[in-house]
Amino acid sequence: MTFLCIALVWLIGFGVARFLFPAPLRGSLHSVFLFSLGIGLGIGIACCLYFICLALFGPNWLILAGFGTIIAVAAILRSMNATNRGVALEWASGPATPAYLTWFLVLAAAMAASMFVILCLEKPHGEWDAWSIWNLKARFLFRGGDSWKNLLSSQIPNSHPDYPLLLPSIVAMCWTLARGESISVPIAVAFLFTLGVCGLLVSSIGILRGKTQAFVAGIVVLAAASFVQLGAMQYADLPMSFHILATLALLCLQDRFPDDLRFSIAAGLTAGFAPWTKNEGWLFLGAVVLARLVAILRFEGRAGLGPQFLRFAAGALLPVAVVAFFKIHFAPPNDVLAQRPSDLIAHLAVFGRWIITLQGLAKVLFVIGGFLLPIVLILALYWFLVRFHVAERDRTPLATVLLALGLMLAGEFVAYVAFPPDIVTQLNVSLERLVMQLWPAGLLAFFLAANPPQLVTTRVYGAARPKLAGKSQKPKPRTTVPKPASSTMRLN
Amino acid sequence: MASGFWQLLDLFSDYTRSTATFGVASFEDRFSDFRKTLAPHTVLGYLSDNPVNDPSNQSEFNLTQYTLAPAIVLPTIDQRLVVVNYHSRTPDQAVLHSRHLTPIRDFGKGVLLCRNDAR
Repeated sequence: MTFLCIALVWLIGFGVARFLFPAPLRGSLHSVFLFSLGIGLGIGIACCLYFICLALFGPNWLILAGFGTIIAVAAILRSMNATNRGVALEWASGPATPAYLTWFLVLAAAMAASMFVILCLEKPHGEWDAWSIWNLKARFLFRGGDSWKNLLSSQIPNSHPDYPLLLPSIVAMCWTLARGESISVPIAVAFLFTLGVCGLLVSSIGILRGKTQAFVAGIVVLAAASFVQLGAMQYADLPMSFHILATLALLCLQDRFPDDLRFSIAAGLTAGFAPWTKNEGWLFLGAVVLARLVAILRFEGRAGLGPQFLRFAAGALLPVAVVAFFKIHFAPPNDVLAQRPSDLIAHLAVFGRWIITLQGLAKVLFVIGGFLLPIVLILALYWFLVRFHVAERDRTPLATVLLALGLMLAGEFVAYVAFPPDIVTQLNVSLERLVMQLWPAGLLAFFLAANPPQLVTTRVYGAARPKLAGKSQKPKPRTTVPKPASSTMRLN
Repeated sequence: MASGFWQLLDLFSDYTRSTATFGVASFEDRFSDFRKTLAPHTVLGYLSDNPVNDPSNQSEFNLTQYTLAPAIVLPTIDQRLVVVNYHSRTPDQAVLHSRHLTPIRDFGKGVLLCRNDAR
């Protein structure tokens, strides 16, 4: 029953995604994209539904099941009836992909899955924040009955009662529908988000830059042990990472297919789910709007601004309204933001806090991902071999991603300096997780800018080439497969 | 890829060596009988025989709250009902008496419900 509920939630998301971007149901890149996007959309929509039902009607199984079924059936029917009116999302052209790269990707996926399973067997309730915050809230929602508002009590130490409820809601919703509390629900949700980030990264880079680049990106993200660990820890950082990546990938696709404005609607929806996941989602929402505004004005002019922003706002409306409803009517003030302005100014005036935050950030860049060698050095080597080349059509999406991530980092940097009284502890316990939220979107930017590596060399010898009548044939010792027009590659 | 494989081996090694005497599962087991007796809106005080500065003190308190949710557990004995989380064979009666705590029911496995007579 538990897995039926999870499947129902995913079906809602897949139905909405397929309604927005219809495509035949077959094994294709388009389907991988819809499958991955459907995870975040389904969970986000189901959480909003659950919370609205709970707030308006109380913990009523019948009402929740009724609304859930109606929305699932509607989403599935609309997606089945959707005509192929939009764009077909296919692999971008690029150099041939060697078979060994495919096997490496499969191997990386198998290792990541094994790691996830071992971690879940070892700690099925997740790590500290999972059971002291997220799953604890889910228990209050499910077990509390009419007293579910106890979860907002500021009496409970360290539970952060103002934190948004996407993760606890989806767990509590599945428990409510299944009429039983099973630890497999938070594990399944964590697995889905981990899978969703990988699928979304591979499929969006595949659409934007081609199969080889997508597979390399997939290997990098799956081989990062701390990424898989973050998923298995059942923290809200990976769902946050999903929404950041999904929003930015959809905006990149919007620029690739400018006539189909449904990408902006979907981007608005996923961006709206970010503040329903974690409080820093508000920062992301502001950052992505500002980044998009600057990128469009800088590279495209005002013409595209209005239609895209209207649709983005329309997509973000539902989730943002639900979060606002929660924050205004239920949540107590945030304990960090409740500090006195004089304290914040005093913190900002301490130069050492800026230094220690900068040092923490620099250190994290070298340890992020838990690789044997610092991943920044490996990516620097990769860049040295393939170099960047940003085609004109990729300038707006790349500027959007880089500006949004830069604003997020800057905002979090200032927040670290200004807010926590014990900055060292705060940096130690949270900085790597916050940077990991941006990691998949950072990879999207990197592989969007990098040239695809040419890993297959086709040798064509002069003797084997067809002779052209009337033209002298100068045999060449060997030639390689022609490079794409935009390529400035050095690796052959 | 090598990093991923290395981490996987590390995890597998940890998993096969771990004895798991402390953690969520053991708390779920210890407190399961007690939880069944609680109403959703109950507010409980909390007392542990861990030293105040012991790092496990905070995590054991959080685990107690997680296990007993939706009851609210407060890190104080200034409540009518107090749950005592002890690690010795029997609770220290002298300590309980000095804090005006009267045992109501011992659920075994180091879980004791007390009444605070000072309130």
